[in-house]
Amino acid sequence: MFRGDAMHSGTYTGPAPRQFHRVKWKFPTGDRVISSPVFKDNLIYFGGDDGNVYAVDTETGHQIWKRATNGPVPATPAVADGTVYIGSYDGKFYAFNAQTGALKWKFSTDGERRFEAKGLHGMQPKNQTIADPFDIFLSSPVVANGSVYFGSGDGNVYALDSATGDLRWKFKTGDVVHASPALGDGVLFFGSWDSYFYAVDAVTGKEKWRFHGGEDPMIHNQVGFQSSPAVVNGTVYTGCRDSNLYVLDAATGKEKWRFFNDLSWVITSPAVADGKVFFATSDSSLYHVVDASSGKPIVRQQGKAYMFSSPAVGSDVVFIGVLNGTLEARDPKTGDLLWDFKVEKSKQNNSWVLTGDRKFNVPFLFHSNWREAPLVATDQQSRIGGIYSSPLVVNGVVYFGSADGFVYALE
Amino acid sequence: MTAAGTLIRSITILIVAAAVHSRAEDAISGRWEGTARIPDDGLTVVVDLAQENGRWVGSIIIPGFGVKGTPLTDVKVQPPDVNVAVKSPMGIQLKLRLDANNKLAGNFEQAGNRAPLTLQKTGPPQVEYPPRSTAVARELEGEWKGDYEMFGYTRHVSIKFANRPDGATADFVIVGRKHNVLPVDLVTQEGDLVTVDSREMGFSFEGRLRDGKLTGAIRQAAMETPLVLARVK
Repeated sequence: MFRGDAMHSGTYTGPAPRQFHRVKWKFPTGDRVISSPVFKDNLIYFGGDDGNVYAVDTETGHQIWKRATNGPVPATPAVADGTVYIGSYDGKFYAFNAQTGALKWKFSTDGERRFEAKGLHGMQPKNQTIADPFDIFLSSPVVANGSVYFGSGDGNVYALDSATGDLRWKFKTGDVVHASPALGDGVLFFGSWDSYFYAVDAVTGKEKWRFHGGEDPMIHNQVGFQSSPAVVNGTVYTGCRDSNLYVLDAATGKEKWRFFNDLSWVITSPAVADGKVFFATSDSSLYHVVDASSGKPIVRQQGKAYMFSSPAVGSDVVFIGVLNGTLEARDPKTGDLLWDFKVEKSKQNNSWVLTGDRKFNVPFLFHSNWREAPLVATDQQSRIGGIYSSPLVVNGVVYFGSADGFVYALE
Repeated sequence: MTAAGTLIRSITILIVAAAVHSRAEDAISGRWEGTARIPDDGLTVVVDLAQENGRWVGSIIIPGFGVKGTPLTDVKVQPPDVNVAVKSPMGIQLKLRLDANNKLAGNFEQAGNRAPLTLQKTGPPQVEYPPRSTAVARELEGEWKGDYEMFGYTRHVSIKFANRPDGATADFVIVGRKHNVLPVDLVTQEGDLVTVDSREMGFSFEGRLRDGKLTGAIRQAAMETPLVLARVK
């Protein structure tokens, strides 16, 4: 499932390519691939913004099956008990047979939507409600104890019977939930765009505690949990759009420490391994490794462009996608770049989305904040093959999707 | 050839050279329009170039990109070469040469990217000039301070006005989590309305001088917050 396990540690055992040798294969789809691939029994599964859910052979890169939904699928599936679980922008949540793709059941939520607000990010006119183009992911499910849990744009977190799709409970928050819930010790942890982070009993759906993140009534830029949490050793780690990485006590919700990022969002879901937290930021484009118990900085590397992709920590290499169409492999200890891979579309640099040194060409793209101009600019940004997808590492191969419409397997 | 003959020949050469140079400069002065061929797109560019008191001045228009009448800086015209920069957040440079077809051809460069650009003269120059700072009233001179809140914490603002022979200047400082000294490019006063602009940083202050206070708002990009400045005694 998303981030490798129910606790979303973001760590992957086994060999990982510390050097780049070749593109093993690349798999084309009909639109952006924001979803992160997951692995089970020599297949990878992922969603496409072309509305399909895919199963692809990891050896050959050939399609085993695809099944259509009625909306983009920028969510990461969970695979358990021979079933693939995933939500779509059509407002439905699906369970497919993992081998054949046959539909087992589907469940209707109260409908999907993106986070929206008046004057969002300073877009004009300020009294106009604008959907957030950076609300890019849908919530990815977690499966445990016969239940499947996921968040929805209708503001609910749902618990369904994983075998039948029957509703067990739903928990209402104040706004969109597109972060993915993590599960630890029978408690479900997730953040909402209502500015709160919640801990809910996984069996009953009763709230155990909530934590209040930042608010931004002026332009709604510094508010909301888009990052998905990791739960490790009784501690919850989560990024927030208020530019903090929060670290909370899983039992009480009490803040242990926070890492402030100077108004730059933390969209990545933190990975936690070997007593360290790995995460990255959006506008400031910084890659961080901090001490898990204290928050003390260990590594700080300046990247080229925004990072929404979550780091995948392999045995001796960390992978992260960058929105300029680059997959980066970094040394876990020093953060130094070991190698990178640039998708072809990003090298073409159509419409000069990137500068000569592959940063986002912000003054050129975002020259107006009126009407649809910022939305068009955001769309242009993704067209150069941005990597929102979080890398998956299996048997010495790293898999990820790109907004150029391909899923790549590199070794 | 006699000494007088040599002198006459040299003067003639100088006159002809000056005339040719002048013709070349005349050829460069004007409104120029063309398209920069950036990948998968075409960028319309309008450039006005003129000579003024023996130096070259100019402005640029890029329709659709919010660039209208932006001053050219660092204008270097050495016929047939024309090199100019544009002082804007985009950071544009034009490296052009007048060719045999009377077109300015070369490169449009921005943020490390480069695209071919060919400009054709469409008429006489219509150079635009940026607004200039005015003088401010004597009672405004000196330092003014106030606070505002954004993203949950307080920022302290200081504006220090001074009059210079070519208009007023202001030191514009905002201290929040960081100490920010903003470059000011325009200070105006019209009646009791006072404005201070830092276009490079996207900040501006606008306020009215009433009852010994400057009451108005600070603007950062699209965000506007009320701000009252009081004179520092």
